[in-house]
Amino acid sequence: MLKAIAARDEAALAQLYDRYDRILFGLLMRILNNREEAEDVLQETFIQVWRKAADFDETRGRPFTWLVTLARSRAIDRLRTLASRERVAEARAREVSEEISDAATDALKSEQRGLVSDALAKLPDEQKRPIMLAYFDGLTQSEIATRLGAPLGTVKTRMRTGMSRLRELLAGQGESFGF
Amino acid sequence: MVHDDYKEMIPARALSALDVAEAQALNEHLENCAECCKELDEWQATAAALALGADPAEPSPKVRERILDDVRKDLSEPHVVPFRATPRNLWSSFGSLGAMAAAVLFTALIVGLIVLWRQNNAIRKDLEQSREFVQLVTSPGAIVTELKATDVAGRASATIAYDRSGHAILLASNLPNVPQGKAYQLWFLVDNASPMPGKTFAPDSNGHGVLKEQVPTEALDSPVFAITLEPAGGSSVPTSPIYLHSISINF
Repeated sequence: MLKAIAARDEAALAQLYDRYDRILFGLLMRILNNREEAEDVLQETFIQVWRKAADFDETRGRPFTWLVTLARSRAIDRLRTLASRERVAEARAREVSEEISDAATDALKSEQRGLVSDALAKLPDEQKRPIMLAYFDGLTQSEIATRLGAPLGTVKTRMRTGMSRLRELLAGQGESFGF
Repeated sequence: MVHDDYKEMIPARALSALDVAEAQALNEHLENCAECCKELDEWQATAAALALGADPAEPSPKVRERILDDVRKDLSEPHVVPFRATPRNLWSSFGSLGAMAAAVLFTALIVGLIVLWRQNNAIRKDLEQSREFVQLVTSPGAIVTELKATDVAGRASATIAYDRSGHAILLASNLPNVPQGKAYQLWFLVDNASPMPGKTFAPDSNGHGVLKEQVPTEALDSPVFAITLEPAGGSSVPTSPIYLHSISINF
């Protein structure tokens, strides 16, 4: 599909959008916590896909990974630029513990989400929280250490260990994702 | 740091969680380490799967319309396609030297007109940009800041003007040419916070660059500006040495 987009096939872009818009918009809403900003970033992401589809290298990863990386990177940039992190984080702080457990429950809505949420549910909270704060709140390791009141070295170790565990749990599931 | 130190940083890099100095050091290492690049690709796939941990949500149908409108506008503009040699025999096609000469003259005339038109457009664009810059500089409360080049930027220089609302224009000159796939990126620095990424821009063949930007609200009081060389799509953290800066700084 990305090859067709690189060849300036408008229908292929529309097809790609229809396939991933809900997943990407859900991710952007989770990061930005603001519908208007999330829609702006979603639009920017697909315009970037239109312009840069030729840069996609299928030997380096799946289109899903590329799309999510583009969208999340833009969202984190916007979060940092707008300095709305504190605003978002305050809202998030009230719900972070529920969100993680909710993620495991709600994930049953789909097999793919279930695989990820099951994997997350298997991580100890001390490893899961730094990962979630980095991924969805855009915090750096130093900021996470401050937020959690933990030494920086401890946060680094927990994040690395958690990611390794997550990778093991998701190993071989790529095909199941269908991405 | 050694190879294994960098390798340990890659999972955090896939989460964009490295602090600026570490991210910069790792990016430099990645430029010369195929093994770590491959490792990063794999960790990014793990990180991307986390997107499924968020509840899917339905964007407004207007987003799809706006995207496809932009695409159609793009499609309606002239698109440069690679030149493909024609299999025809031009000599036999023209049939005579007179026809060849006429075709050459006609082509030269068209090329000349295009060159003139482009020069005219370039001059007009320069004038418009100059006028806009002067308007900005002379507006009430406008601030003008000079950016100085570091060793990597040679004779480059830049001036940025911005008003109270944050509307800013950067004019740069004598910038080194950018490699394929790269662009210059403006950064805003405030106190000890992470550098905030601005837009990217590419200089023309004479090293002149113009960038219209919006200074973030939190940077309006005492901004420090810096310019680095980044991938054309821009970076979330600086990945190259500083090329120009408004005061002495280090990322």
